[in-house]
Amino acid sequence: MTARLRRAAAGTLWYVREVMGENAYDHYLAHQRRNHPEEPVLSRREFECRRMDQLQIRPGQRCC
Amino acid sequence: MTTTATPSTGRWTPGRIAIWTAVALLGAIAWGILALARGESVNAVWMIVAALCSYAIAYRFYARFIATKVLGVDDSRATPAERLDNDQDFQPTDRRVLFGHHFAAIAGAGPLVGPVLAAQMGYLPGTMWIIFGVIFAGAVQDMVILFFSMRRDGKSLGQMARDEIGPLGGAAALVAVFAIMIILLAVLALVVVNALADSPWGTFSLAMTIPIALFMGFYLRVLRPGRVVETTVIGVGLLLAAIVLGGVVDHSSLAPAFTLSPKTLVVCLVVYGFAASVLPVWMLLAPRDYLSTFMKVGTISLLAVGILFTMPVLQNEAVTKFASSGKGPVFAGPLFPFVFIIIACGALSGFHALIASGTTPKLIEKESQVRMVGYGAMLTESFVAVMAMIAASILDQGLYFAMNSPPGVVGATVQSASQAVTNLGFTITPDQLQSAAQQVQEQTLIARTGGAPTLAVGMSTIFSGAFGGDALKAFWYHFAIMFEALFILTTVDAGTRVGRFMLQDTLGNIWKPIGRPSWRPGVYATSAVVVGAWGYFLWVGVTDPLGGINQLFPLFGIANQLLAAVALTVATTILIKSGRLRWAWVTAVPLACDVAVTLSASWYKIFSSDPLIGFFAQRDKYQQALDAGKVIPPAKSLDDVSQIVTNSTVDGVLSILFAGLIIVVIVDAARVWWETLSGRREPVLSEVPAEESHLWAPSGLFPTAEDRTRQAELRPEPVGAGRERSGGLGSGGPDRSGGDG
Repeated sequence: MTARLRRAAAGTLWYVREVMGENAYDHYLAHQRRNHPEEPVLSRREFECRRMDQLQIRPGQRCC
Repeated sequence: MTTTATPSTGRWTPGRIAIWTAVALLGAIAWGILALARGESVNAVWMIVAALCSYAIAYRFYARFIATKVLGVDDSRATPAERLDNDQDFQPTDRRVLFGHHFAAIAGAGPLVGPVLAAQMGYLPGTMWIIFGVIFAGAVQDMVILFFSMRRDGKSLGQMARDEIGPLGGAAALVAVFAIMIILLAVLALVVVNALADSPWGTFSLAMTIPIALFMGFYLRVLRPGRVVETTVIGVGLLLAAIVLGGVVDHSSLAPAFTLSPKTLVVCLVVYGFAASVLPVWMLLAPRDYLSTFMKVGTISLLAVGILFTMPVLQNEAVTKFASSGKGPVFAGPLFPFVFIIIACGALSGFHALIASGTTPKLIEKESQVRMVGYGAMLTESFVAVMAMIAASILDQGLYFAMNSPPGVVGATVQSASQAVTNLGFTITPDQLQSAAQQVQEQTLIARTGGAPTLAVGMSTIFSGAFGGDALKAFWYHFAIMFEALFILTTVDAGTRVGRFMLQDTLGNIWKPIGRPSWRPGVYATSAVVVGAWGYFLWVGVTDPLGGINQLFPLFGIANQLLAAVALTVATTILIKSGRLRWAWVTAVPLACDVAVTLSASWYKIFSSDPLIGFFAQRDKYQQALDAGKVIPPAKSLDDVSQIVTNSTVDGVLSILFAGLIIVVIVDAARVWWETLSGRREPVLSEVPAEESHLWAPSGLFPTAEDRTRQAELRPEPVGAGRERSGGLGSGGPDRSGGDG
């Protein structure tokens, strides 16, 4: 029962972090390691700034 | 087309057949109770049951049929997210996460506002349209456009219209998109203005969201980069504090400073919209988006729980007399076509085609997931609309009409409103009106049009019934107002920015520098044009003696359904060109219905001789009065009369423009259909060639037994050992994470 609850809590936390984009940096690191292992990676701060600045050019459309 | 490779779902066991029969029966009973009840009270839970059973059947059978037979989803084919993965705009995203993103992008204030207005015709017509409309038109459009855009590396609706129909259809689609954005932003902003006018509590709380968002932006940029969840939790905490503080401000000497007239609010909104469009996104737009997503999902879930917990009884009739007479005070015009126009979001919303052909197709992991993301998210939005219909229908109908009739009808005092409501055939005493306003600590609830205040009263009734009792009624009311205003402002921010980019893009073809996103004068100029355009309609809506919502909302609905017609035309064209004529009815039938609705509504708005409905009849009536120097109510002066003349001319011309655009797109598409079917032209499709997929992921919300076996094969290490995606691994994350759906 507790194991199940813990699993559900972990799942929910994972889901919230994914939807809000908190895991974007982890995905970026994984992507770089997989596809461009020789390149240096950005720090989290640099990465988040770049991510926001891209949003600047491609704002997400929001509907009614 | 390619063969389908969706996983099989197993056989029809007796147990399964029994479950689906039970769902069908339960749904039929619920519909029967809703439709046949006359004079007795109906519980709102039946509306929920009817909706959920219908959605379940539609998702299981119809959506599945469209995905496998009509579209031919093929999971052996790599999606753009897999082929072009650059960890930025293209990246394979877990289906449940993408569902969340897509839902947050499509659902906003629209599904909450439309049903409230349509409730004047009774709960039944609106509810039927919301549920059947989404099943056969809205969700189909979203899924089909998502699929076709995905097969074209995420091309936008405008580009697809140009590629598949031609330059004329493409240009008309582009103009339609821009026009609808302007009207949409104006109408949504009007809803906010009507909700906040002369309400210090609401205005203070909403004003506080600006410093809160700025703080969150700073926190995320400088203090804790990327810690979105923690920042949002802090932000939501501050937001709740701002709502509570609003109640204090309401009783303090600061109250007059936050008691703003509608006109002042318009100026504030326009200035704010301009600032939000030119400021860096990290400062205002992004943090506000986090807040609004969080609030959206939270409040909607809370509302569902509240309805199930309190099980309220519907006060509204199934069908009111306004359905046939067409003389309702909230909006004029008969049931057909106007219910279908007033309720756009939640049933069929063309705007969604822009999102389904925007970021979502670039993130989808497997082709078969278009069913869950496209169709599923739209069903969820429809459910939000059903809840809004419930919230409006559990109110005392006298109160409903006192709140939703324009000031020209109900006047400004509780006495005049009570009298006007009696004339409409309902009853509410001046005392009752007064006490309803006092309960939510507003000065007045009379003529609070736009749907948001009505929804807020409905929600506060449900919430205070479920949590906290009457003591918290005022808090819940302002919570609901804040929640709606918050994501309307998010839409206004994002919409202004998107509109600005569209304008820069188009003008950039004529004069290069203005197309550059970094050239500041260009940014300022185009932002000003976009803000000025919606600001104009907002100003007109606020000052219109006939009532802005009454005048502009039908125009917004027509524009939205027009865009849906463009989307369905593009989809039908692609089906025909790819040799799937026998399945073309899937999009062609909703297209035909949508065109019938949009064009007949335009017909009414342009040609009706009733000045309540037809813009030009209205213009003539007031022009004659103006010529004779007469002031006819609801105008109070000759200036008012001449303003009505100007407004109805502008609105009438817009109606002609919209109807013209829709005809151009359809005629141009019909030419392509005829050329293709008669063999005059070899159809050229712009689909990207297939490439084999090396990724694997389940297609539905819950992985099937087969999915689990496959997942186990592909993932030798224990779950939780690492979440990165590599090679053929399914997306990370525990598969039993509930939460969405």
